[in-house]
Amino acid sequence: MEKAKKRILVVDDEINVCKSIRQAILADDYEVDTALSGEEALTKDKANPYDLVISDLMMPGISGMDLLKSLKEERPDVYIILVTGYPTIKTAVQSVKIGAFDYIPKPFTPNELRSLVQRAFKAQESEAREIPAAPVMPAGLFSMGGHTWLRREENNVATIGVMHKFIQSLEYVSQIELPQENKNIFQGEACVRITDKDSHVHRVWSPATGKVIQVNRTLEQDLSLLRQDPYVKGWLFRIESPNLNLDLKGLTPSE
Amino acid sequence: MKFILSFLMVIIFGGIVTLTIGTRIEHQTIFSLAQAKVRHDLAAAWMVYHEKLNDIRDIILVNSTRESILNALKHEDRDVLFKYLDRVRREFGLDILTLTDLRGHVLLRTHNPMHTGDDQSNDPLIRNALRGETVKATQIISRAELSKEGEDLLNRAYLRIVPTPKAKPRIEDYEENGMMLRAAAPIIDEQGIIRGVLYGGILLNRNYEIVDRVKEIVYKGEKYKGREIGTVTIFQNDLRISTNVRNKEGERAIGTRVSKEVNQAVLVEGRSWIDRAFVVNDWYITAYEPIKDMQDEVIGILYVGMLEKPYIDLRNRVMLTFAGMAAISVVILLVILFFITSTIIHPLQGMVLATKKIARGDLNHKVELNIKDEIGQLAQSFNQMTTNLKEANEKLLNWGKTLEKRVEERTEELRGMQDFLVQSEKLASLGKMAAGIAHEVNNPLTSILINTHLMLEKLKENDEFYENLSMIADETSRCTHIVKGLLEFSRQEPPQKSFADLNEVLIRTVNLLENQVSYQNIKIVKKLDPNLPLIEFDTNKIKQVFWNLMLNASEAMPGGGTLTIASQFSQNKRYIEILFTDTGIGIPKENTGKLFDPFFTTKPSGTGFGLAVTYGIIEQHNGKIEVDSVPGEGSTFKVSMPVGKK
Repeated sequence: MEKAKKRILVVDDEINVCKSIRQAILADDYEVDTALSGEEALTKDKANPYDLVISDLMMPGISGMDLLKSLKEERPDVYIILVTGYPTIKTAVQSVKIGAFDYIPKPFTPNELRSLVQRAFKAQESEAREIPAAPVMPAGLFSMGGHTWLRREENNVATIGVMHKFIQSLEYVSQIELPQENKNIFQGEACVRITDKDSHVHRVWSPATGKVIQVNRTLEQDLSLLRQDPYVKGWLFRIESPNLNLDLKGLTPSE
Repeated sequence: MKFILSFLMVIIFGGIVTLTIGTRIEHQTIFSLAQAKVRHDLAAAWMVYHEKLNDIRDIILVNSTRESILNALKHEDRDVLFKYLDRVRREFGLDILTLTDLRGHVLLRTHNPMHTGDDQSNDPLIRNALRGETVKATQIISRAELSKEGEDLLNRAYLRIVPTPKAKPRIEDYEENGMMLRAAAPIIDEQGIIRGVLYGGILLNRNYEIVDRVKEIVYKGEKYKGREIGTVTIFQNDLRISTNVRNKEGERAIGTRVSKEVNQAVLVEGRSWIDRAFVVNDWYITAYEPIKDMQDEVIGILYVGMLEKPYIDLRNRVMLTFAGMAAISVVILLVILFFITSTIIHPLQGMVLATKKIARGDLNHKVELNIKDEIGQLAQSFNQMTTNLKEANEKLLNWGKTLEKRVEERTEELRGMQDFLVQSEKLASLGKMAAGIAHEVNNPLTSILINTHLMLEKLKENDEFYENLSMIADETSRCTHIVKGLLEFSRQEPPQKSFADLNEVLIRTVNLLENQVSYQNIKIVKKLDPNLPLIEFDTNKIKQVFWNLMLNASEAMPGGGTLTIASQFSQNKRYIEILFTDTGIGIPKENTGKLFDPFFTTKPSGTGFGLAVTYGIIEQHNGKIEVDSVPGEGSTFKVSMPVGKK
C-alpha cells in the first residue's frame, strides 16, 4: 500500500519565506501548503487537517502562539513546529510547554529543517506504534520540549541530559559535541549538537541559563550511554544557574 | 521707660484727683456740719427766747389771778397794788409791770408811778387781754410809749446807729423805739367779769440776759484763740439791740446793723438765712431768723453765729491730714513702683534687650534671673528658647555646610557618572539597536541561506557556479554568526551582586583554565594579596571577565609563556586591582584605544565582542579596565573593582 503523503502546512506572513521553506522541505512523500496568516492557516486546517504545521512565531494578527493554542484546542494531537527569531526564544520555550513539538530559530539551513521534520514524523509514528517504553524518565526531573531533562542538585547547580524521545527520533548518533566548560548557555538555545547517521546536525536546547561547570567526558568516549541510560550515566553536563527557579517555570516536571 | 512714666503719671493723677475730690467733700461735710450746728444753736436760742417770754407770761398770769390783786383792784387800793406789784416786778426782773382798768386805762405803772390814766386799749396785746385772753408777744414799742413807761427805758432804747458797711442805707442815724417781750392777762372776778388787765415785760434793748444765756448754754463761754466762738444777737429791725458780738474795741456791738443781704432775706422776705457771714470782725457761720410780732409782722431778727475759724481750722487740719495721707500713699506707691520696676520691668527690659540682640544675630546672650517666681520662669523659658534657637541655628549652619559639601561631592560624582552614562547609554542603545538589527536581518538571512543551500544541493561540485554559491553560503553563515554575536552582546543581563572574595573567583577560574588545551604550555604565576576584603560583584559575570582576559592572554602566547595574575589594593585603598600580565606579542599602540570597542578583533575568527562585553561588565560594577602593552614583550590588563562604601 502506498503510504499516504504527509501533509504539511507552512505559515509565515512573508511570501518569500513561505516559498523558501516549502522548497526546502518539499519531498516526494510530502505535500506542502502555505498560508500567509494565522487566520488562513486555521481555515485551511479546519477544512482538511494537516499532519504537521510549521509556523513563524512573530506574525501580525494571530501570532504563532495563538495559532498553536487554537489548533491544540481543536486537535490536541496536532504536531506544530514554530520558527523563531532569537529574541523570541523565551516564547518558544513556553510554546513547547504548551504543546508544540519543537522550535527552530532563524536562520537555519534546509538540512536543519529537514532533520527536524523527520524527527517530528518519527515521533508521530512512534506514538502511533507505541513502542515498548525504553528507559523511563524518572520522577523529580524537569524536561524542556522533547529535548533535554534537568535534575536539580544543591543550590543552583543542575545536571542536564538529553531526553530519550529525542535520541529515539534519531536512528543513530554518530557524534556529539558538548559545550565548553565555563561557557554561558541560555535556556532554549543550543547547548549540545548531535550528528546522526545522515550527518544531520541536530541542535539540542538547553533547559536552563547558566555557566557550564562540568562536562561528561565519559559520554564523549562512549556514545551508547545516550541510548542506554540517558537519564543517569548518559548525562551531558552540569550547570550553575543563578536563576534556576525562574528557568524551572518554563519546564515541565516529570511525574 | 514709658511704662514707669505712665505708672507714675497714674499715681500722681490719682493723688491729685483724690485730693481735690476729698477736700471738696470734706469741705462740704464740715460746712454742712457747721451749718447744722448753727441751726441747732439757733433753735436753742429760740428756746431761751421763748422761755423768757413764757416766764414773763407766767408771772403775769399767776399774779393776775391772785385774790389780793383782785380785791385791791375792786377796792381801787393803789397802795396795796403798788406795793405788791412793784415787789413782783423787782423780784422777777421785769422792766415794766402795769395794771389797767377794764377799759384799758392805766391804773398803775410800777416802773413809772407818775404816769397813769393813758389808754392802752389800742395796743393789740392789751386789747386781746381785755377780751379775756392771756397773751404774750414781742413788740416794738414807740418812743412815746417807752417814755410813759420810764425815762430810763427811753435811754436804754436810744442808740446811735453805727455805720455798718454792707447794710442797707438809712436816713436817720439814731433809733428811739424799743423792742420788748411783753405779756398781758385779764383780771377776772368771781362772776367772770374782766375788771382789768395786768401786763408787763422786759425791754430787750441793751438787755443782755437772753443773748448771754444762749451763749452760755450753747457755747459755754468758750473762746477760740481769743475770739468768741459763738455769738447771739437780737435785732430790732436791722439794728443790733442786744448782742454779745463785740466790736474792735471789745464792746458789745450795739447799734450796728445787719447786712443788706440778710435784711432782704429775713426782714423783707421773712425767710431764715444760714450762711457764712462777716460779722463785725470775723467770718461766722451765721443763722438769722425773723422775730415776728402779734400780727405776724417781722419786726426783728434773732441771730446765732459760730466762729468760722475753728471749722476752717478743722477743715484745714482734716484736709492737711488727708493730703498728708494721700502724699504718703503716693510715696508708698512710688516705692512699690520702684520695686516693680526692679523685679518686673528690669528683667522684662533685659528680655527686650535680649530679643534685640538675638534679632541681630547674637545667640549667646542670656537673661539674668535671680527671682524664683513667674518672672524668673519667664526668664528661664526665654533663655531656653535662646539656647534652642542657637542650637537650631547651628544645626542649620552645619546642614548648610554639609549641603554645600554634598552638593560638591554629588556634582563631582555626576560629572564622573555623566561620562559613564554616556558610555553606558551608548552601549545600551547599541544593544537595543543590535537586537533590532539582528531580528530584522535574520529573516532575509534565512531566505538567502535556504535558497543558496537549495541551489547547492542541485549542483555538482564541479559546476562552474558551485564555488560561487559555496562562498555565498559560507558568507551568509558568517553573517549569522555575527548577528548571533551581536545578540549576545546586546543581551546585557543586570548584574546580580553579592559579597564575595575576588581571589577565590580568580583561583577557580585559573583552575578551570589550567585544564584547557590552550593553557598547556603556559606558566601561571599567582600573586594574590590575602588581606583583600570581600566586595560586591556578580560572580558569574566577573568570572566571565577573568576567563575572557585569560583566554586573550593565552591567545597572545601561542608558543607558550607566562601569565602573572596579581591582586592588590590600589594606592588610595579605594579599589582592588587585578592584573593579568602576559609575555605575549603585545598590542600595537594604535589599537589600544580601540581594544574595547565592539566588533574590534585581531583574530581571524573573532567576533570582536569579548572585550566589549568585558568592558560592559566592569562598567556595571563601577570599576575600571586599563591596558598597558609593549609590542614584542607582553601586555598587562588591569581590572579595578571598587571596595565600596561599607
